[in-house]
Amino acid sequence: MNQANFRRLLARNSYLFALLLLIVVVLINYSRQDNLFDPSVLNRNIRVFLPLAILAVGQAIVIIGGGIDLSVGAMVSLCNALLVTWITPETAGGDILLAIGLVALVGMAAGLLNGIAVAYLRLQPIVTTYATSFIFAGLALTILPRPGGQLPSDMTGLYRRLIEVEAFANIPIIQDISILREIPPAFIVIAIILLLWAFLRQTRLVQYIYASGDNAEAAYTTGIPVQRIRLGTYVISGFFAAMAALALTMSLGSGSPTSGDAMTLDSIVAVVLGGTRLRGGQGGIAGAMMGVVILGVIRNIISFYDVPTWSQTLVDALIILIALAGPGFVRYVSDLIRRYRLQGGRAA
Amino acid sequence: MVTLSAQHLVKRYGGVVALADGNLEVQSGQVVALIGANGSGKSTLSKIITGVVAPNEGQLLLDGQSVSFSSPLAARQKGITAVYQELSLVPEMSISENIWLSHEPMRYGVRLDRKAMQKRAQELLDLFKGTIPASLTPTTPVYDLTPDERQIVEILKAISQDPQLVIFDEATASLDSAQVTRLFELIEDWKSAGMAIVFVSHRMDEIFRVADQATVLRNGSHVGTVDIAATSERQLVQMMIEGAAALEREAREPVAAGAPIRLDVRDLTTEKLRGVSFDLRDGELLGIGGLQGQGQSDLLLAIFGAIPFQGALTLSGRRVHFSHPRQAMKQDVAFVPGDRGNEGLLLIRSILDNLMLPSLREFGTPLRMQRARSEAGAVSDDLSLVMASLDAPVNSLSGGNAQKVVIGKWLLRDPKLLLLNDPTKGVDVGAKGEFYKLLADLRHQGTAILFYSSDDEELLGLCDRVLVMHDGRISAELAGENVTRENLVAASMGATHHDASHHKEEPTA
Repeated sequence: MNQANFRRLLARNSYLFALLLLIVVVLINYSRQDNLFDPSVLNRNIRVFLPLAILAVGQAIVIIGGGIDLSVGAMVSLCNALLVTWITPETAGGDILLAIGLVALVGMAAGLLNGIAVAYLRLQPIVTTYATSFIFAGLALTILPRPGGQLPSDMTGLYRRLIEVEAFANIPIIQDISILREIPPAFIVIAIILLLWAFLRQTRLVQYIYASGDNAEAAYTTGIPVQRIRLGTYVISGFFAAMAALALTMSLGSGSPTSGDAMTLDSIVAVVLGGTRLRGGQGGIAGAMMGVVILGVIRNIISFYDVPTWSQTLVDALIILIALAGPGFVRYVSDLIRRYRLQGGRAA
Repeated sequence: MVTLSAQHLVKRYGGVVALADGNLEVQSGQVVALIGANGSGKSTLSKIITGVVAPNEGQLLLDGQSVSFSSPLAARQKGITAVYQELSLVPEMSISENIWLSHEPMRYGVRLDRKAMQKRAQELLDLFKGTIPASLTPTTPVYDLTPDERQIVEILKAISQDPQLVIFDEATASLDSAQVTRLFELIEDWKSAGMAIVFVSHRMDEIFRVADQATVLRNGSHVGTVDIAATSERQLVQMMIEGAAALEREAREPVAAGAPIRLDVRDLTTEKLRGVSFDLRDGELLGIGGLQGQGQSDLLLAIFGAIPFQGALTLSGRRVHFSHPRQAMKQDVAFVPGDRGNEGLLLIRSILDNLMLPSLREFGTPLRMQRARSEAGAVSDDLSLVMASLDAPVNSLSGGNAQKVVIGKWLLRDPKLLLLNDPTKGVDVGAKGEFYKLLADLRHQGTAILFYSSDDEELLGLCDRVLVMHDGRISAELAGENVTRENLVAASMGATHHDASHHKEEPTA
């Protein structure tokens, strides 16, 4: 019975495995780096994780809705290229906001293209978004043929610490409370995402996304506009790709036409590590956030061991594979134990 | 008050006419049974009324006004909904989330009102109180439910919309008799509250219990509508099939005395089974009965090696303990699942592919397609499979024909022991008749058959012996003259064989 309860617990709380894994990798990291919890180190880590975290939100929503988006990395590259083209150190504050707004629209338009192809033309999500990723990557290269560009120092400063921006530095609360001085806006962004999700989870829209991803036919016969919902998930993913690009650009301070390309697979791995299965209808954003941190911390750990540079990709991939196989492995072992007990009982 | 009238509806899929002349009339406070044999167009007609498919011709009148529904949502907004047999629940969601899906009670217009959802879901569940486990709560996820419980959630989901017209599409196929009785009481209530009900079913006795009128379809066309009170079962069947031969059941013949014992089961125990013992001879048709979910499926799956078990199995005189279905298949054991969509068929693959699947090894490498095709052709002829060609996908077949493919793919292997897990569930009368004939032929050839059915009539009409299961045990073995409805029902409720046969004489103290 305990066995069955445990399996049920795992099945119902898809976050559980991610949480355990998170604790384990953080402890390993801590054992190699005892200043891990210093505000400045936390700050640096979370800053590095943020672009992928934002990207993983969009990816998670698409996957929950029964699809997959292989073009998010290329969207990040495209939006990164646009941001450094439109924003220079001389750009005025209002124009910066306008540029950010436009980039958000570009991301959503890119998602709209994916969504129409998948939901209305009924093309396979994997092939479609792989194909459109080349459109976005190609546009990024056209706009910004080689790395370059520079953001105003206020934008990059804001990404590091509130206190580095003049407008915030003079607010007494920020000066007086050390956490507010040290903790980067990245924390605030992640907190907002989680709060927003907790709210959205209670809305009809998100309920429909889960239903469409779980059993599209059932959702349709129940009267849910499955095609529109599916389209919506890709538009949302496009929006988050644009926001991820903004975070990445602020973090780097400059642009590169291939800056986001490697993030596509990372976003999928993070979502799956967070307990969301690729067949859709299940999982969530909190898990995806954990997945991002797990992924980042694993890479931290590798950098602390003396892994030869050329083997790092290999070691990285092996560890991620093991982490991904975790829940399935637990299930397999508990099945074996159950079988063994029954057969053992027969012999006795 | 609501009146729905379907007039001369036509639906074509490519060159295939699914519905040639669909007519149906139903109004408030009325239960109309929609009946017909294999591929007669019942589901197509239901789907047009609920907006799932659009008709090519004909019209739908709602209270005298012509309407056309572009989607299920449009039909629902007019108060028309359906209880589907298997396709409308979302497994990862809870009972209450499923019931309220797409008409959730909201707070402040944006947030789901989960409290209200759960409270009202509980009220709905209470309608079936006593016939479903008390452990079912509004927060139970649907993937944890048994088929009958899912079916009840489907019913509640439709009812939660306060519809004016409900189509019950084979809604009783997976319910046990207590649940069916409760549903019929509820239907009486809903009827007197002014609901119009269309009841699609293959079970004659249910139609006579619940319906006021019956509308009969044959080959996609309306044959007639009759008052149930003035019609006999025989008349209805005759309307459904030209000539009433198909329902004639095979006369039972005794098993040849001294036929060898094919299967001997001693103290079989699994998570659900608590020590089951019996034997089965060649050429014998052994029925397994009882209420749903008493361990019948576990018994078949354990023998087939699909779930772990304790106990002794002797097959053809040799001790065996299969731990994988492949091992059972090698010993000429075949298993025909009841849930043909999930367990039995590759839906988008061709009929040929499905028939060949268990026997691929026999056709060598590379596959001798010519031989495979001719053998599969022979089997499909034996089954009188109605199909476009062997290359048509399985999901183009009607339910009854798809079920034949599930059986046919095992017949290619010429099994010695056939395990049947409620194979006629949702299959219409005509196809059932053919299926019974097939069972009789197999018995003649000496195949030992273990046959679980949720349809008591089948067990009574076909089987040499019936094992009645209750709570993981065999509560009675009925044989010869003891195979009666009374004994079967009594044993299903948990009485032992002894109690069952003397039930009537016992004084009521």
